[in-house]
Amino acid sequence: MPSTTQRGRLAYKILLWFLIISLIPMGVAGLYLINISQASLHQQILGTEKSLAQSFAETVYKYIATYRDILEESAALPQFISGNKGMEDEYLKHLMSLHVAILELSVLDASGHEMIREGRFLGPNPQLRDMESEGFFDTALARGEFIGALKRFQGIYPTVTIAVSIGTPKSGQTPAGVLAAKISLNGLSSMLSMEFPPSSETSAAVASPDGFLIAHSDPEKVYKPDARLNSEILKILTTQVADSGGGEISLSSGQGFLSAYADVNGLDWIVYVQESIQAAYHTAARMRSQILRLLVWVIIAIIVLSLAVSRHITQPLRALKDAARKVGMGQFEDFPEVLTTNDEIGDLAQAFLSMSESLKEKTGELVDTKQELERLNRTLEKRVEARTRELKAAQEELIKKERLAAIGQMASVVGHEIRNPLAVINNSIYFIKTKLAPVLSQDPKVSKHVKIIESEIQQANGIINEILTYSRQRELQPETVRLNDWLEELLSVYPFPPHIALQKIFVPSNPPVEIDLTEMQQAVRNLIGNAIEVMPEKGILGVKTFLSEASMAAIEISDTGPGIPPETLEKIFAPFFTTKARGTGLGLAVVKKVIDRHGGKVEVASVVGRGTVFRLHIPISQKVEA
Amino acid sequence: MTKQNHAKLLVIDDDAHLRESLAEVLELDGFECSLAGTAQSGLDCAAKVNPDIVIMDIQLPDSSGFQICQELRKRSKTTILIMMTGRFLSLDEKKQGFALGADDYLTKPFDIVELSARIRQMLTRRKG
Repeated sequence: MPSTTQRGRLAYKILLWFLIISLIPMGVAGLYLINISQASLHQQILGTEKSLAQSFAETVYKYIATYRDILEESAALPQFISGNKGMEDEYLKHLMSLHVAILELSVLDASGHEMIREGRFLGPNPQLRDMESEGFFDTALARGEFIGALKRFQGIYPTVTIAVSIGTPKSGQTPAGVLAAKISLNGLSSMLSMEFPPSSETSAAVASPDGFLIAHSDPEKVYKPDARLNSEILKILTTQVADSGGGEISLSSGQGFLSAYADVNGLDWIVYVQESIQAAYHTAARMRSQILRLLVWVIIAIIVLSLAVSRHITQPLRALKDAARKVGMGQFEDFPEVLTTNDEIGDLAQAFLSMSESLKEKTGELVDTKQELERLNRTLEKRVEARTRELKAAQEELIKKERLAAIGQMASVVGHEIRNPLAVINNSIYFIKTKLAPVLSQDPKVSKHVKIIESEIQQANGIINEILTYSRQRELQPETVRLNDWLEELLSVYPFPPHIALQKIFVPSNPPVEIDLTEMQQAVRNLIGNAIEVMPEKGILGVKTFLSEASMAAIEISDTGPGIPPETLEKIFAPFFTTKARGTGLGLAVVKKVIDRHGGKVEVASVVGRGTVFRLHIPISQKVEA
Repeated sequence: MTKQNHAKLLVIDDDAHLRESLAEVLELDGFECSLAGTAQSGLDCAAKVNPDIVIMDIQLPDSSGFQICQELRKRSKTTILIMMTGRFLSLDEKKQGFALGADDYLTKPFDIVELSARIRQMLTRRKG
């Protein structure tokens, strides 16, 4: 069903727009915020590392400076300036016992000969050396102090040599000698490992520019022969111009670090702190993931909320849709509940309800109209059928009339043309009769034949007259007469043969009729003539007048002849139909034509063996008789 | 038949048999008959003979009988003009004919005795 695929589409559209409108800016803002916070976090973490590196650089410096100061204070003591060996030695032993980091102490004279040598692991009388060629001796003698000469004690533990001049060079005097000490640097590694335990993700190291690893937070890395700082890191560090700095570095091994460095003040050592990127940014990453999770929850909440809102908004629309579908199917009842909210949708629902109300009315009207139309159609069909029938009848009538007209025209022409020869014959027989009068009186046979010719001429002329009378188009010339009086006059002059008994019954009212006397006389004469013909020996000829229908009078002419069989009865009014040996077959056709022209009608009833009755119904005149 | 009439008679008809038979029959009654087959020859003949009576067919090949009737009546007020026809004339036609000067109508075929009697009557009245 297409409706299921359409259902809720609007809700999803609204949802989609909600999401687009709310989520995209939020997502953009969120990501922007994350980026900002990440950047600042990174900055902060890096800052922390830098300060760590700087503070440890200071610590290293103080550590070294402490021992230098001790040596300088010692060298300034009177026993060293005076060169009292016994007291010097005693003091050195005292120092050694005080400071565990001091591994060896030596007193050199101005020429570099070792005067006193005290060592923690050297035994009671160590061998004295000549140090004139050692670099630190000249430097300490010339500048007053030396820090350097990194070495590994016993090949493992890093040491530094600190040397100070005995006797100050301020006085311009040559120093009396040099006090040198080999200091263990293990304390630095201990401090580093306390600060950055090896298990932590942060490690720190102190190195010299040539890569000598001085200290490391992981003791395993530093207490070994040739312990060096990673060369890649070293390369990066030695190319830095600033005293301190930091940033992200990535090594060729694929490891990434957030690292910071600081130069140790007064020394060329570098403190280096590094933390793996993951560990360094762990907090930042956690924060980011938390923000993202929050974002996801917000999105879900928005989806759910907007779904609910859109469903809520579209509920009345869906209800309207259902209602509209019902209206579409022609149902105007049982609409689904439409929320009549106080907004545009409520207006829409209201408008829909009033629309469906008017639609219902209109549909009702339409149905009524349709029914009315169907009824009219049926009536119209009936009328059309009736008209068609009438038309067909009229057409048939017309064809009949046209045929009759054609026959009439032909008859007229033929009749007319025959009249000329008849006239010639008539003239000729008259001539013969006149000329041969003596012969005729003597020969009865010739006389008889002349009479036959004359008689036949008369008959032929009669036939022609009959045909022409029937076929001619003549205007009626009606006159108002009393029916009985007119008929009485006609009968009085009619030559009835003696064997016919005339029986007259006239209606007392003697109704006035408006008739063309010539034609009506012809019609009645034709009927009387026929009646006489069918009663050659004897019979009763009835002539009757009566009031037939409303405003109609009738002339009835009956005979007691043989009657007309039913199959013949229907044809008797057709022109040229005849049952006689001689006759045009126009007698009854003329009767019908005349009565029709008078607005009347002809009836015939016949019983074979009993006789025939003709009734001519003609309208009673409404005119007052003159 | 006595030949007392001596009236001059003109028959105009395109049917030769008819005009001849009619003329000969009327001659038996003592009329002097002239014959014409067309309207023109009829008018010519009438001008020459100056007949007392003209019997003419209504339909002629070159003209209508009514026109000859009118022409002849124009020439003479006393000539008896009789129209012949083979068909029924309408009342209007009859009126027209009389208005143009026709004296009588004959419908073919006609009774010679009756015609002769009519003519004689009209001639008598004219003389009287």
